[in-house]
Amino acid sequence: MANCLLNHWLSVLVLVMWLGLNVFLFVNAFLSYEKGDKYYYTREILGFCRRTLRKQLDHNLTFHKLVAYMICLHTAIHIVAHLFNFERYDRSRQSTDGSLASVLSSLSHQEKEGDSWLNPMQTTNMTVIYMTLTSIPGFTGVIITIVLVLMVTSSMEFIRRSYFEVFWYTHHIFIIYFIGLGIHGIGGIVRGQTEESIKENHPYRCAEFFEKWDDHDFHCKSPQFEGNSAESWKWILAPGVLYFFERILRLYRSQQQVMITKVVMHPSKVLELQMIKRGFSMEVGQYIFVNCPSISYLEWHPFTLTSAPEEDFFSIHVRAAGDWTENLIKAFEQQNSPIPKIEVDGPFGTASEDVFQYEVAMLIGAGIGVTPFASILKSIWYKFQHADHNLKTQTIYFYWICRETGAFAWFNDLLASLEQEMEESGKVGFLNFRLFLTGWDNNIAGHAALNFDKATDILTGLKHKTFFGRPMWDKEFSTIATIHPKSVVGVFLCGPQALEKCLRKCCHQYSSLDPRKTQFYFNKENF
Amino acid sequence: MGQIEWAMWANEQALASGLILITGGIVATAGQFTQWYFGAYSIVAGVFVCLLEYPRGKRRKGSTMERCGQKYMTKVVKLFGPLSRNYYVRAFLHLGLSVPAGFLLATILGTACLAIASGIYLLVSGVCGQPADAMTPQSLQPPAG
Repeated sequence: MANCLLNHWLSVLVLVMWLGLNVFLFVNAFLSYEKGDKYYYTREILGFCRRTLRKQLDHNLTFHKLVAYMICLHTAIHIVAHLFNFERYDRSRQSTDGSLASVLSSLSHQEKEGDSWLNPMQTTNMTVIYMTLTSIPGFTGVIITIVLVLMVTSSMEFIRRSYFEVFWYTHHIFIIYFIGLGIHGIGGIVRGQTEESIKENHPYRCAEFFEKWDDHDFHCKSPQFEGNSAESWKWILAPGVLYFFERILRLYRSQQQVMITKVVMHPSKVLELQMIKRGFSMEVGQYIFVNCPSISYLEWHPFTLTSAPEEDFFSIHVRAAGDWTENLIKAFEQQNSPIPKIEVDGPFGTASEDVFQYEVAMLIGAGIGVTPFASILKSIWYKFQHADHNLKTQTIYFYWICRETGAFAWFNDLLASLEQEMEESGKVGFLNFRLFLTGWDNNIAGHAALNFDKATDILTGLKHKTFFGRPMWDKEFSTIATIHPKSVVGVFLCGPQALEKCLRKCCHQYSSLDPRKTQFYFNKENF
Repeated sequence: MGQIEWAMWANEQALASGLILITGGIVATAGQFTQWYFGAYSIVAGVFVCLLEYPRGKRRKGSTMERCGQKYMTKVVKLFGPLSRNYYVRAFLHLGLSVPAGFLLATILGTACLAIASGIYLLVSGVCGQPADAMTPQSLQPPAG
């Protein structure tokens, strides 16, 4: 638990502050309606009111989801509260017992200087549903709630992973949501007494004598009310403007021409694209969004850059994992037709840049998840070539877990040249590969047993031998902890959630409580 | 677009609608609103819809992730026969169930959402040409991946 907190203290702090702010704003608004004088008569009819608050900060996916859950929660509270409000407005309107609530409800539009009404239900035969659907707040409320429900159901993990287009296109109805949200408060249905009216008719003095308000001689006059103005737009405006500018910027960036210099089809249905674009500069482990108009005008998909910043081109490796990627690979496989046009937006930063901050780094990639690390390893190779020995990093353990042998071919040359480079410069301990083949059969195992004595591995041709099956993380972590007793070890993962859970556990387990001894810090790539 | 199994989304939407119907129904009944008996109906209808939609149907292509504990529900749902397999039947059933809830403000949201789910199911069976009895509830298949 202590280690967990140490690893994520910044995120926890931000989260706690944000939640605290939410709670504060909620309580503040609630108390304003519960205790404020100008809402005395409003409370009379309603009991109490609630108001919802929404914030959005689009920093990353987790926060986005958290905000979405908050919106849903507050929407539910908001709707339930207003349901009770409408019911009570209705009852107050219908009641004929001459109570304060019913007198207040009968104050109508036509009185004196216009707006002195309090109860939005003006006639006894108006139903709650009718009022909802014919008033601006009611109507926009229903519409945007339906929009919200549609957005949430199409964003469920199962739908996102299996039918991405459904999620992507449906999610764009957020435009309707925010426009509706801005308009929602315009009706001014929630009302409070005006300042001037409070002078003539202060609730504490006048409320009990409500029968005499119509008397011209009586010192209390009828109260006057005004609606609260729409407030949501104040919250939405700034982030909305920021988002709008970001979209324009991204549109501009994506219109810059991209030239494809090389296309390589790797085994296991992996496509490598090498491209150049004017003004493009990247850091290790960053990613770009790619669009192919001939496949789909509106879809943008993220891919990690697999080239190093030192190279004069940038590249991505694309694995067939769904409609869009399969179509992309098919399009490039066509020998006779011209190469499809590609648009690129980015690059955007990720955690991989932190690799060089740690003395010891464990890089773990599962399948195509190796891509960010490919970029890092290439960069290391170039740094070594240019004798950049200012790297903080002393040792790197690179784990690559693959299901099929064909998958290793992608980066075979890279790994082989790195291995050779390290040997030549006498730094054999710097880079340690551990390659794991999880989809093995007796055939492969048989071969491996036969060639046990050979210096190079039969599958990859590297000096490092390939292991069969999954890594035993307990052993790996304890070995590393023993070899580096005083170091801070950064653990970087790009792979499935199950592996993430396992690694996090190991990190907490093998980090010693003494800060001078081995500490494992876990970092995960977000996709 | 032909690859997309809209029924999967319709299933999520219907499940959400069921929950919304239950919530609206509870509010109306507990608050003893005017015509609160529609709220009581809404709770029953919501529970029924949730139970029917909870087991996730098998995808035609690719592996399907079961919902937690779905195999117990599947046995019950199978008893309903054509109700559980046929999309047309589901679409009209949902449409029918959603109508009474439309008379009360607290549950009208449930009506709208369930009607949309019904529309998507109708789209699946009618427009996209996927066979109406394509859905087979997941039985005791081990969860994939």
